[in-house]
Amino acid sequence: MATEMGNEMSPPGAVTTPRLIEKATNSTAQEVDPRILKAIKSATRFSDEEIRAAVDALMDQMKKPHSQVRYLAVLIVDELFMRSKLFRSHFVVNLDQFLSLSVGFRKNLPLPPPSAIATNLRSKSIELLEKWNVSFGIHYKQLRLGFDYLKDTLRYQFPNRLENAARLQQERRERHLRTMQILLNKFEYLKENFTSIKSDIQSTVDEIGECLEIANAKEENGFEFPVDGDEVEEFNSLTLRQIRLESLREGEKVQENSENKAIFDALRESHKLLITKHMSSVQEWISILVRVDATDNKFRDTALKEFIDLRNLIQSLKKKCTDLGIILDPSIKQKEDEDLWEEGKIEDYKPECTTASTSTTEDFLTKPANQENENTASVESEPSVDNFVSSITDREKLLAEAPVLTWSPFMLDKCAAQSGVLANQRGLEIEGHWGRVDPDAMIPAEKIAELNFHCTVYKEQPVEIRPCLAPLKKGGLCQRRDLKVCPFHGPITPRDNNGNPIEQGFRTVVSDSQPSQEVGELTGKESFTEAIYLKTEQSDLQDSLCPGKEVIEQLAKQAVKNVHQRDREAKALKRAKLAKIRKHNEEVLRDSAIASTSYSELFAEHTVEAALHGNGAGVKVKKTTLASMLKKKVTAKDRIARRLLGSRATDASSRQVTLGEDSKYREAFPNQW
Amino acid sequence: MWREVRDREAGKILPSLFTSRVRSRRVAALQLSNRKEIVSPHRGAVNSIQVDLTEGRYLLSGSSDASVAIYDIQQASDYDEYGLIAKHRSLVAVDKHHEQGHKFAISSAIWYPIDTGLFVTGSYDHDIKVWDTNTSQAIMEYKMPGKVYGTAMSSIATTHMLIAAGSADVQVRLCDIASGAFTHTLSGHRDGVMTLEWSSSSEWVLMTGGCDGAIRFWDIRRAGCFLVLDQLRSQLGRRPAFSKHSLKNANAERMTPGKNSAKAPPSHKRVPSGSVMKNLNNSNKRQSLPRGSATQRLHPGMSSSLNRATAHYGAVTGLKSTKDGMYLISSGSDSRLRLWDVESGCNTLVNFEAMRLQTSKPLQLAISHDSSLVFVPCMSSVKAYHVWSGVTFQTLRGHYESVNCCYFNCHDQEIYTGSNDRKVLVWSPFSPAVTEMVRSHIDISVIIVCDNRKNQILDVFKINVL
Repeated sequence: MATEMGNEMSPPGAVTTPRLIEKATNSTAQEVDPRILKAIKSATRFSDEEIRAAVDALMDQMKKPHSQVRYLAVLIVDELFMRSKLFRSHFVVNLDQFLSLSVGFRKNLPLPPPSAIATNLRSKSIELLEKWNVSFGIHYKQLRLGFDYLKDTLRYQFPNRLENAARLQQERRERHLRTMQILLNKFEYLKENFTSIKSDIQSTVDEIGECLEIANAKEENGFEFPVDGDEVEEFNSLTLRQIRLESLREGEKVQENSENKAIFDALRESHKLLITKHMSSVQEWISILVRVDATDNKFRDTALKEFIDLRNLIQSLKKKCTDLGIILDPSIKQKEDEDLWEEGKIEDYKPECTTASTSTTEDFLTKPANQENENTASVESEPSVDNFVSSITDREKLLAEAPVLTWSPFMLDKCAAQSGVLANQRGLEIEGHWGRVDPDAMIPAEKIAELNFHCTVYKEQPVEIRPCLAPLKKGGLCQRRDLKVCPFHGPITPRDNNGNPIEQGFRTVVSDSQPSQEVGELTGKESFTEAIYLKTEQSDLQDSLCPGKEVIEQLAKQAVKNVHQRDREAKALKRAKLAKIRKHNEEVLRDSAIASTSYSELFAEHTVEAALHGNGAGVKVKKTTLASMLKKKVTAKDRIARRLLGSRATDASSRQVTLGEDSKYREAFPNQW
Repeated sequence: MWREVRDREAGKILPSLFTSRVRSRRVAALQLSNRKEIVSPHRGAVNSIQVDLTEGRYLLSGSSDASVAIYDIQQASDYDEYGLIAKHRSLVAVDKHHEQGHKFAISSAIWYPIDTGLFVTGSYDHDIKVWDTNTSQAIMEYKMPGKVYGTAMSSIATTHMLIAAGSADVQVRLCDIASGAFTHTLSGHRDGVMTLEWSSSSEWVLMTGGCDGAIRFWDIRRAGCFLVLDQLRSQLGRRPAFSKHSLKNANAERMTPGKNSAKAPPSHKRVPSGSVMKNLNNSNKRQSLPRGSATQRLHPGMSSSLNRATAHYGAVTGLKSTKDGMYLISSGSDSRLRLWDVESGCNTLVNFEAMRLQTSKPLQLAISHDSSLVFVPCMSSVKAYHVWSGVTFQTLRGHYESVNCCYFNCHDQEIYTGSNDRKVLVWSPFSPAVTEMVRSHIDISVIIVCDNRKNQILDVFKINVL
């Protein structure tokens, strides 16, 4: 039944595809119209006849002397080629012809104009040929032949997609292999040195543990904190209880003093070592163990387990240290450093904006401030709550009045100030460039202090200098900006829009004496309305006193409405005026365009078109045709040249031109006459 | 096809008829072979191609880059990664770097007709070399007076072993392999000799086509040429089966066997251009014979050298005789193909459809096993024409530049073509069953009887097994 239908339909059906193809290729677009393409595809799916007709029609289109037609035909060919086997087997027979028409490799058959699209056509068809060859080359000798011929004999450059992809893959694989090798090496190293690494870390951990023990023991012996239950009863509210609990906890913390300074130093040192060195190394080893695919899984598992245990141990130790209130400066310093770095970046973007800088400084001040607060609270919290609350408000107050510092790299690097700093241990490898590098070079502490010396440069507050605004003889106002005295118009006084001086003294007097509404009128709408609101509020407050309250309210409303309306009207007027001006301008332009020569007519059309496009109006625009693509575009230069050479100017201009050329020639080749 | 096999088994049709039917069918289905690929090592245009006449297995190709290569066309050297495409790489390759290699382009390369132990190459460096295939060494060298355009050896010769060589010189020379010397110098052409062909019916007859547009027939036992083909002397279509004249001629031939010259005397006179009919010719000949001999007392053989008749306007670029040796097909730089009746020396006026031929190089034509189709290189395509009607039968498109030579392998019904784009292409009968089978990767060993020779079937099998 279906085949019968096909046979019945075939006479008109055979017609549809060529017609569709012709329609699709008769366009100036860069792509084939997707709807027509879909129609072509569905039509060719209908019967084999259609495909044969499509092959013929496409070859006919390819023979047309217009690159755009050919380009679109090539695109359609690609669509059908990738889909239909029958199409391929029919199409491939004439492949050499197709290639000579699409690539234009025969000298006696160059690609037709327009040249821009011709180059496009060539590159596209070469790309497509490569694609076809990759996917179907094995089944079609013709494809292989064509590809080989263009590649090997004519040495066309193919984009070489597949090979590039393969090469990328290869590179990736190699990189992966290399990383695996490195991991494996590290793993081997770990295997050998596992015990030593572990013992190293363990020793540090033990050291910290001992230090903590000693510190705690000393605390218990020496310092007795008065913890009594009497005062607790005084505080009833939950918040206060919490505060007390916190303070109690704080109290348990060990305070650093002259006696246990040595222990604390040791503790700090080993803690720093633990955090900076061992923690990171443990993390690294864990990640290596996770990533490596070693054969020795048993060792890997045990090592991994042990490292995870170690990490947990270190973390717990760290927690213990912080819990016990050993404020270990280095870690905090580090954190601040990091924070600073990030904030600094933000500051760089808007260095002028003071608000931003305050906010940022606030940001990084909070952390130490918090801790300070806690400290102060712990010491002072016992006597009263007010004190505590006030401390918080104090902080805000202090923050509010704290000076804003511009950021500098060494601003908070206090740890460096205590001892010297290794100059060449900053992570940058500067070896080799400027001779030998001394790795142990130290920057002494005093030098660092000197470098850290914070200085600020005085910055002048920008003052707006008002223009003189005295009326000039030729009209307009004087725009000179002087501080006090204009050299032409004497001392600068405030003036109104016409340049008449406003007497300040008088004004202030008036504003004092006049009722508020009038002042509002003088100064502007906003203040006017404000004044009214103010008044209404006042009236609200003293409602009983004022008898005409409703009247005043109404008045006020009316006034507000009036002002708004006036505002709106003024705006509308302005807009209308602007629109009128624009319209007029356009009309003038169009008129002049139409009135002028035939050359500029085209130009005018363009502008109108452009205008229409800009407005998004659906007015029918003259469609660009294939023929117009072939036509040479008349540029302004051409037009000028034409006009120059066209009329009476011809002789003079040509003489001038030749003269110019002559002189140029003489200049260029002084010894050739 | 299976019915025909059954008929043949039952004796309803003759085996030879069956064979020729299968062959014709296969020839009709010729197309660019996707399964067979000759990997050409040449870096220049392929000028000459020939498959050896003894085994039908080794393909010899000569190229413009002075290289010769031999391929095994039955046994593939390797396959592509899917086992779908059989690649035939060269077994032997001799190029410029060979110490005895030619210096300039090789214009023709032919097999020794008796076995595959020798082959002959002619080159633009004026040399003709005879090579030993097994050692790939030149064993003999002939210095010609000009660029060698073509060489030919007779496939039916039993009493002589001569290489006929045409060069830019006007003389055709015959080189004797046995002695290493020129045995004959045939003069008569007024310009270089482009193409040569030994008759396939008589071992003594050589046909040569020159740049002067003449086709001359030589009997190597006699001096001078005995026939010059004239395009204006024509007959319509094939010769009538038995006319009185031909009967008489046949009788004469029988009386003096091998003496083709019996027919020669009528032809070496200049023939009036208006004569079309054969009997008219005869009467003219009789009239002109005594007068010619009276005016110029020349050697009877040499008198034909004055005959300036032309077979083509411009040069004759290709010659090919039919299998039975009765007809000769010639191509010229006037883009014409002419079919000549060798017996009468007349143009048969078969109108071969429009074509465009390469003009500057000798062309190598090919003719099918039953002489029904002639394959002609027409620029970048090869066209197959019906010999007797001149109708285009098929156009084989695949090359990207001008085709120089083609060769019909009658064992496998394959065509090999060589072109300026450095490729040697194989055109083989399309067999959908095989390709489908291979494509679906089903390993079924089905015997397809398509040839009475086993070669083709073997080939199919190999691919399937892989």
